[in-house]
Amino acid sequence: MSEQWFERDPLWFKHAVFYEIHIRGFFDGNDDGSGDFRGLIDKLDYLQWLGVDCIWLLPMYRSPLRDGGYDIADFFEIHPDYGTVDDFREFVDQAHQRGMRVIADLVMNHTSADHPWFQESRSDPTGPRGDWYVWSDSDEPYSEARIIFLDTEASNWTFDPLRGQYYWHRFFSHQPDLNYDNPEVQEAMLNVLRFWLDLGIDGFRLDAVPYLYEREGTNGENLPETHEYLKRVRAEIDSRYPDRVLLAEANQWPEDVVEYFGDGDECHMAFHFPVMPRMFMSLRREDATPMYEILERTPPIPDSAQWGLFLRNHDELTLEMVTDEERDYMYEEYAKDPRMKLNLGIRRRLAPLLDGGRDEIELMHAILFSLPGSPVLYYGDEIGMGDNVYLGDRDGVRTPMQWTGDRNAGFSRADWAQLYLQPLMDPVYGYQAVNVEAQLRTPTSLLRWMHRFIALRKEHPVFGLGTYEPLRAENTKIFAHIRRWEEDIVLCVHNLARSAQAVELDLSEYAGMVPEEMLGRTRFPAIGELPYLLTLAPRGFFWFQLKATES
Amino acid sequence: MAFDEQSVIDFVTRQRWYGAKSRAVAHSEVLESVELRTTEPRFTLELVELRYETGAHDIYQLVHGEEEIDGLDDPAAARELVHAMRSGLTLQGSEGSVEFRRVEGFAGLGRELAEARSVGAEQSNTSLVFDDELILKVFRRLEPGINPELEMLRFLTEHGFANIAALGGWYAYSGGPMSATLGILQQYVSDGLDGWELALQEIADDPEQFLTRLRRLGEVTGEMHTILGSDLSDPCFCPETPSVESLGLLTATVDEEIESVFLALPEDDDRLEPILGRGEEVREQLRLLTHSGSIGKAIRTHGDYHLGQTLFSDGDWVILDFEGEPARAVVDRRRKRSPLRDVAGMLRSFAYAAIAAELERSTPAPEGWEEQAREQFLEGYLDTVDTSLLPSGGIAIDRLLAVFELEKAVYELRYELDNRPEWVRIPVAGIQRLIEQAATI
Repeated sequence: MSEQWFERDPLWFKHAVFYEIHIRGFFDGNDDGSGDFRGLIDKLDYLQWLGVDCIWLLPMYRSPLRDGGYDIADFFEIHPDYGTVDDFREFVDQAHQRGMRVIADLVMNHTSADHPWFQESRSDPTGPRGDWYVWSDSDEPYSEARIIFLDTEASNWTFDPLRGQYYWHRFFSHQPDLNYDNPEVQEAMLNVLRFWLDLGIDGFRLDAVPYLYEREGTNGENLPETHEYLKRVRAEIDSRYPDRVLLAEANQWPEDVVEYFGDGDECHMAFHFPVMPRMFMSLRREDATPMYEILERTPPIPDSAQWGLFLRNHDELTLEMVTDEERDYMYEEYAKDPRMKLNLGIRRRLAPLLDGGRDEIELMHAILFSLPGSPVLYYGDEIGMGDNVYLGDRDGVRTPMQWTGDRNAGFSRADWAQLYLQPLMDPVYGYQAVNVEAQLRTPTSLLRWMHRFIALRKEHPVFGLGTYEPLRAENTKIFAHIRRWEEDIVLCVHNLARSAQAVELDLSEYAGMVPEEMLGRTRFPAIGELPYLLTLAPRGFFWFQLKATES
Repeated sequence: MAFDEQSVIDFVTRQRWYGAKSRAVAHSEVLESVELRTTEPRFTLELVELRYETGAHDIYQLVHGEEEIDGLDDPAAARELVHAMRSGLTLQGSEGSVEFRRVEGFAGLGRELAEARSVGAEQSNTSLVFDDELILKVFRRLEPGINPELEMLRFLTEHGFANIAALGGWYAYSGGPMSATLGILQQYVSDGLDGWELALQEIADDPEQFLTRLRRLGEVTGEMHTILGSDLSDPCFCPETPSVESLGLLTATVDEEIESVFLALPEDDDRLEPILGRGEEVREQLRLLTHSGSIGKAIRTHGDYHLGQTLFSDGDWVILDFEGEPARAVVDRRRKRSPLRDVAGMLRSFAYAAIAAELERSTPAPEGWEEQAREQFLEGYLDTVDTSLLPSGGIAIDRLLAVFELEKAVYELRYELDNRPEWVRIPVAGIQRLIEQAATI
């Protein structure tokens, strides 16, 4: 009964800090060159210290790994490189003992072409699994659905010579889409969910969730049938598995994404994709307008739901949810080397995207942490790890975690040549310059700053639960807003510019209150009726708690 | 008999052992009910869930009497629990069962219990003493899993550690709502003198005598750690090698604590003068102490070790209270840690005793007493402890010990500033000592 480690808290995810882990790249517990669950267990103390509330695991299932494990060949087995189901159970238990929850990626939309279901379906069209995938005699249907992996795929249909028919795939051609019109498929996927929930997992990040159904004359995204099925999944969870969470990956505009919350009866969380590129855009342009605009365009969500917010993740920095013009700007500014582009995005880690600028990294985290939602950190970004754009696909941002300055970055005791990927060795981001051990011992390091900053955010539930009230000033280089929850009022002011800035904020509503800076607890002059003047260092920010004068 | 929901809530929330004073209770529910005694006077053991408005919940143990919501004040009810242990009963409930167990060969169970009195109600339990020979501790707010005190006492008993109050029995629930230890029965050391009291007394009367006793306490502590780290076959006790960054994590944690405590130090307090403005110096010392070196092995430890957790009885020490720090969650208290954490806790309590003798008994400890106390204790400790559990080499031991002492002293400083200003000089002296001494190790 792993839930016993926690107090019941159905809304835990609303004030949690998430941390995304690529198991293969985190720590090698059995010296074979690849990260695994034994290794992950070894590093739980570190994650607990960092302040992580919930670990999000990239896919861990058996897979031929032609798409980083998002091509699942058996939903009920752990990939042998990572360990066994028992190792997984032990990991979840150990994480729970340290007060951390665990969610894992689950791909419902498709399987690997190696999955026995698909092999059966193609070889026995009239058999029990003949209808489990989307088959067609022609490649004409559903022509309005866009192709997502533009760089590799020419069509969403691929001909299977064995069955003599085309099969549907929204992603790679080795990832056939399951046919959710078949009730057996719906039930089979519920069984997958139950299996892992019974093992104690705290939820799922549902990969590629908008594409479950296909309908002629539509783009095949966000269809009503998809929402209906997700509501069924949610009802199952609510009835049998309290305190678990469904996190939707729907790379869509906010007005479409909110549909995934339903009326609080669908997904608990969904990623807010469009806000992320706009943070980078605002920083480069020194203009808060794109951020204010996308947040304005974000509809309200049910009280029991939450946005997932991130700066970077295991995929490319996706530019699907921006205009063509904005995309060109982003490429121009952040992907000068064409190798850095992938599909509609930029495959780089946070630190290199920001040219390694410490002020910029801190500022971006401050903005991220100040927004309404739960932040999701990507492993290695807390120490400012770099990337390797010369590696294929998204491997460049999935190199081994840099634990120490020792051999193999302290990631593995295997031979150098045996590692799944070699750790970074360049003079700026290489493991001798950037590693956990050194940063733990250096009080001014990025890691130590992150630790304090995570603790600060967690001290104030207002960041997870409070309102968001934009505070637009005449100086557009300033991104300022108020967060409010019960008695707690927080004012966040961020300077996007490379130069020092002054800003006058209309705080008359709070006249008489005293802003107390939250990191150093310094009291600032009381707010009066006149505009409140603040000066900020280049890329600087202030978070204030507004306090009643008498306290 | 059944009690209505509101009167149960009213009763529980009034008790000292009620742990969630600031929370609004939404409702309560009886999760399990087990008949403890079916003839008059009837007693029923109940697990009651209090659900708070936030959605969180706690489970409490109550022993209903005929008329009372909780009848544990009645010696008859407490006696009933001991009888059940003696007979090794298993009582079925609707969702699970309560198992009562006795320790074979425990003499105290063989006789009738006459007198019972309740002793100082603590935060999370109710304790009763029978005939000055047995003590029954009934846990109120239940936490899942085995209680660390029971687990430690059983392990130490089975592995032949003699310096504890012998374990007589226990009872535990396992079933749908949770599995948890409900109560423990132990020998009551009636003629024991509390180690803290003894220290204050002998610092005044016979400081030399107490130093020899401390050497013995060091030996007992070393034996305790050796035994706690001796069983490779028990995963709950098997010594572990901490991960490579454990020293770094410890350093970072202590460093941030120092930074934040010094940031908030009042500037107008004379008692703080020796350390005022020296926060950066303290942090620098910490860096020197942790610059290199290892952390040794992690084992199960006492967890909250100081003179107040010992008794001196019949010429030897008895170690008490293996619960760990009450403020921490059970899982956290069961975590393995360096045994030097316990040692540091004890050394800090010598510093407290030296000054308390002056503050409370008006007899200052002789010059250099604390230093000698430390030496005696450490000599005894290092004589008996399995040194493979410690960092290798005397210097590495001294350094890690200094880090743990610093951690404790900084915690004490924060605590005393908030709670007992007249005691502030103790952690101040401790920190000052560590600044000056650290440079030499």
